[in-house]
Parts: sequence; C-alpha cells; structure tokens
Amino acid sequence: MAPAIASLGMVLDRSLVIVSGKGGVGKSAVTVALALRAQRTGRRVLVAALTNGIGAAAHLGAERLAYEPATFHGEIQAMLVDRAAALDEYLRVQLRAPAAAPTRTLSKAMQVLVDTAPGIREVISMGKPIFDMWQGEYDLVIVDAPPIGQLMSYLRAPAVVAGLVPTGAVRNQAGRMAAALEDPEQAALLLVMTPEELPAIETRRAIDDLEVEPLVAIGGIVANRVLPPLELTARDIAHLPNRPAAAAAAHHLALLETQTTVLADFPEATPLPYLFGVRTPAEVSVHLADAWEDMV
Amino acid sequence: MRHPEIVIITGAGGVGKTTLSAGIGVSIARSGARTLVMTVDPARRLADALGIEIAHGTNRPAPVPGAGPLDAVMLDVTASWEAITARHAEPEVADRLVGNPYFRAVADRFPAAQSYAAGEQVAEFAQSGDWDVIVVDTPPAAGGIDFFMAPRRMRELVGGRILRWLTGARLPGRRLIYRTTARPMLRLADALLGSALLEEIADFLLDLRSLYDGLAARAAAIDRLMGRARVLVATTDTPGAMHEAGRFFTTLPELDVTPAALIFNRTLPDAWITARGPRGTDSADAELRGNLARWGAEARRNRDARLEIAARLQIPMVTVPWLRQPPNDVAGLADMVAAADGLSPIVVAVAG
Repeated sequence: MAPAIASLGMVLDRSLVIVSGKGGVGKSAVTVALALRAQRTGRRVLVAALTNGIGAAAHLGAERLAYEPATFHGEIQAMLVDRAAALDEYLRVQLRAPAAAPTRTLSKAMQVLVDTAPGIREVISMGKPIFDMWQGEYDLVIVDAPPIGQLMSYLRAPAVVAGLVPTGAVRNQAGRMAAALEDPEQAALLLVMTPEELPAIETRRAIDDLEVEPLVAIGGIVANRVLPPLELTARDIAHLPNRPAAAAAAHHLALLETQTTVLADFPEATPLPYLFGVRTPAEVSVHLADAWEDMV
Repeated sequence: MRHPEIVIITGAGGVGKTTLSAGIGVSIARSGARTLVMTVDPARRLADALGIEIAHGTNRPAPVPGAGPLDAVMLDVTASWEAITARHAEPEVADRLVGNPYFRAVADRFPAAQSYAAGEQVAEFAQSGDWDVIVVDTPPAAGGIDFFMAPRRMRELVGGRILRWLTGARLPGRRLIYRTTARPMLRLADALLGSALLEEIADFLLDLRSLYDGLAARAAAIDRLMGRARVLVATTDTPGAMHEAGRFFTTLPELDVTPAALIFNRTLPDAWITARGPRGTDSADAELRGNLARWGAEARRNRDARLEIAARLQIPMVTVPWLRQPPNDVAGLADMVAAADGLSPIVVAVAG
C-alpha cells in the first residue's frame, strides 16, 4: 500500500513536523517558511535544529542558535538541539541527576558511553523536541532535521533502544517517543526536494523506506526552487542573434525539461518557487512563506 | 618510492563534491597518471559512470572503463574498521572486537569514525604505491570538516583520559569499571543503560583501548598526509554552502592544512547581468526579455557571492559553469573540467 501523503495544509495541524531531504535542497529555508506560516495563523511555534543550526539561524536572520530558545522573526522561538546539552538536561530532568553541575569529566564520560550504545544518543536528542511538544508550551514544534539517511537512524532509534535496554527510563521514553512519531495525528515528516535528479532519487528512496518501516507519516512533499514556465521552444531560440538572451533561455529550457520529468513522478508535491536574485536567507524564508500562503 | 599526490575535495552537502571529484580524477588520468578516485556515497548515475558496484563495498578499487589508468572505489566504513582492527590489535582481541555488537555502532555512529576510516583508507592506498594520484571525496559528516579532525579525535577517544577513567588504569584486568573512582557517574550510567549493557560496553571499550598504539601512529601519518594534500573547497552561491566554505578556511589552518583553491560550482555567466534582450514586440521577444531579466538578477547575485567570498578568503578561485545537464559519463566529466575556469592548471600540476 502506498503511504498516504497528506496535502500540505494539514501539516500545520500537527504538533510536530520534521523537515528533511537531501543536502542542499533548502530544508532550513522551508523549515523557517513553515514556521512563519504557522506563526501568522497565531500558533506558538518552536523551531528545533537537529543539525548544526547554521542554516536555520541564517534563515531566521540570526547569527547562531543556542540550546536556550530565543525569539526571532517576530514571534518564532528557535533553539539548537546541542547533543551534549540535551544529554546533560536529560540526566538532570529525567534521571534526577544531582542538581550540582556535573563535572566536565563526568559529562564527557557519559557522552562516550552514550555514543557507544546504539540508539541512545538519537533517542535523547530527538527526545528533546518531542519533550517540548509534550510540555504544551508550543502549538507546533518544527524540527530542522539532518538529511534523510541520517534522520532514518533517529527514527529507528527507539526500536534499537527497546531491543537493547530491557528496562528503565530510557526504554520507557523510547517507547513513548516511537508512539508519538508513529501517530499521524501528532507527527508528520515533510520531505523537501528540488526538481532535480539526485534529490528526486533520495526522496523516492525515503518514501519507499517509510513504506516498509512506517516510523512516521509523510505529511507532505515540498518541491523547492520550481522554475516558472517559459513560452518558448528550443526551436524558437536556435537561430537567435542575441546570445545572452538565447543562452539564458536554453539554460531555463534544459532545467525545465528535467523539472517536468521529475515532477511528473511526484504529483503530490507542493511547488515553492525558485527565487531569482533574492539575496539573504532571511528574505528567502519570508518569500517562501508568502508564496505558500498565496497558494492555499 | 615517490609519494602519491593527494587531492581532497571538501565542502557542504549538495555542492557537487562527488561529481567534481570524479571529473578531476578523470581529467588527471587522461594525462597518463595512475589515478584513484575514492568516493563516499556516490549517486547511482555517477557510480554507473565510474563503474562502481554500489551494493558491495569492499574497499577494493576497480578500473573505470574507458578512462585510461583510472580506478575508483567506494568507501565501506565497516569493512575499513574491520581492517583497522586487524592491523592494530592482537588477533584474539581483533576477533572479539569485530564480533562485538557495539563494533558496528562505533563504525557507524561515532562522529569521527567514518571520517577516520576514510583517512586510514587513503593512507593504505597511498602506501601501496599503486597510484600516482589519489582523489578523495570527503564524507558528508559535519560538513566534511570532520574528515580533517578525525585522526586526532580518534586518538583522543581511544587513548584518552575518558576511556582510562571509565575502564580503569590497567589494560589486562576486565570489569575494572566497577572499581574505578567513577562511582557517581556509574549510578547515572546504570540508571540510563542498565548494568548488563554497561558491563558489555565497558568490556568493549577496554578492547578498543588496545588499538591505541597502532592507531596513534597511523593517525599521525594521516595528519601528515593531509598536511601535504591539495585541499579544494567546493561551494555554490547558496548562503549555507558559502558559510560552510568559510568555516573550512578558518578551521583548516588550525589543523595545519592549507586549502589550495576554492571551487565555485554552478557559476552563471557574468554576461547575463548587463545583457539586454531582443527589442522586438512580439510575444517571443517579450518572453526572452523577461527570462533574461530573471536570470540576469540571478547571475548578479551569483557574481556578488563570488566576489564576496573571494574578498573574504583571498584564495585562488576556480569557477565551474552551471551545466544544463549534469555529466553522466566519463566524457561528460572531462568536459565539465575543461569548461571550468582555473581547474585545468590544478589538474596539470597534480598530474605532474
């Protein structure tokens, strides 16, 4: 059975949206655009970067993100899920570790142990945005996730931990986390691609993988940087004397050809426009949010 | 024996590192140098072009059909770590390590392990004397910078204070973890992982420590290899990729690695910025003018991005045109390098 891919407007009704896709397709731009869209409808939004946070920060018009959420772009809260900080907080809050700041050595030793046992690190890092969702302080938590291959290891982590740790707090949390991710009413994955060959292949692979292992519902596919049509044919430009105009048209037509082929395979994808000449990442996310709004 | 030339292509995800590596490899081999391209996760199309069998990563290079003295290999991290273990540990310990369920975890998930495996694999290939030039496509982990940090990180992990503290001072004794000074942490670790798992991990980490001497020596050799490699940092005009590229230029010198050039991929022609479209009044002319205006704005942004990063980094810049179709065979890869501005001199210098 093909996984049901909801129309994009629906992802805004979820409590947790995970944004992923191939490297370089504009995941962070779409993450922030989605956050802007949700915030404009009056929802309290948290953007949680599960990557190094550079992309999300740039698209929020910020220098960098920190573990402590800060407010950007109006009312959007954003944070970086720093691995070490997430583990320290987990130990403090979930395991009631002594409130006194853990020594550096202790903290580092725990990092090594957690890195060695498969799945634990992912459960704790991914657990942070899910925990924030449970806290109820936000209506929508949007995760700026790593590329899809890496994200799969996060999504598989709860099962890995369940198979590894017979009892205890982490196992319980992993179970709750898996249930939350698998519940299509709560969580959705938003796949971002561009209308190019390699991103299309990775997106298809992700859809197929999630069909075999339904770890999270696919809430939508965004085709980013979709070019506008051009009412010319290769014939029209074959004998043009004006070289730059002809070259630009040929360039556009060649890209369009690939785009048409790719998008035919993804009829469910929501197109977001290629933004010609837009300079700063913060402007990009605002333009994308506007384009998104115009479509609905 | 002459040391082979090492070319390392690094940069953010999605900037075309793998295609650039393949193109550079193809071009160097065309001049007759025995060349190896090592890639990490090639797309099917590129793997087909290079004749790499994706399904079976064995770390065994194979000739690229129709490309002269060019070989290609895809890095298999688990296979690399098995080889690393066999090289650096006593046979009995190596067997135990490879058979341990956490072994795969370390190979797959330690942030530095994938990158370290790539480095050690390059060192192996360099030592074999089978190639004059080795072109390395860096793993995507942490934007590629991990690749350069991995040797010291692995050395720190395996020989470091933390592991000693966790597993006790003496190597031969097992289960020392329960007799160390690590008691407050043990209570925590025990609550987190459970005592059975904790014990298994401790045993595993003890075995891992026995790799230290071999690994430390090899890590130093990899550092030297990287120090004399030609490092090419690839970027596109997207802000994320440019930021990432900037980070290489600030971080690599701290690791005694000097980037040789910046490769700006997907360059648009400057001529589009100021060009005017046809003056005609029919709809085709209007369409051409509108399209040129769009791409002119894009070309301006592209040029400004190049100027900005060139001014910031003060380094030779190679520009690779934005190709209408990505290269999908050996000839296309060579054409890409030929169409690039500033890449051929690097190819010639490397090919010697």
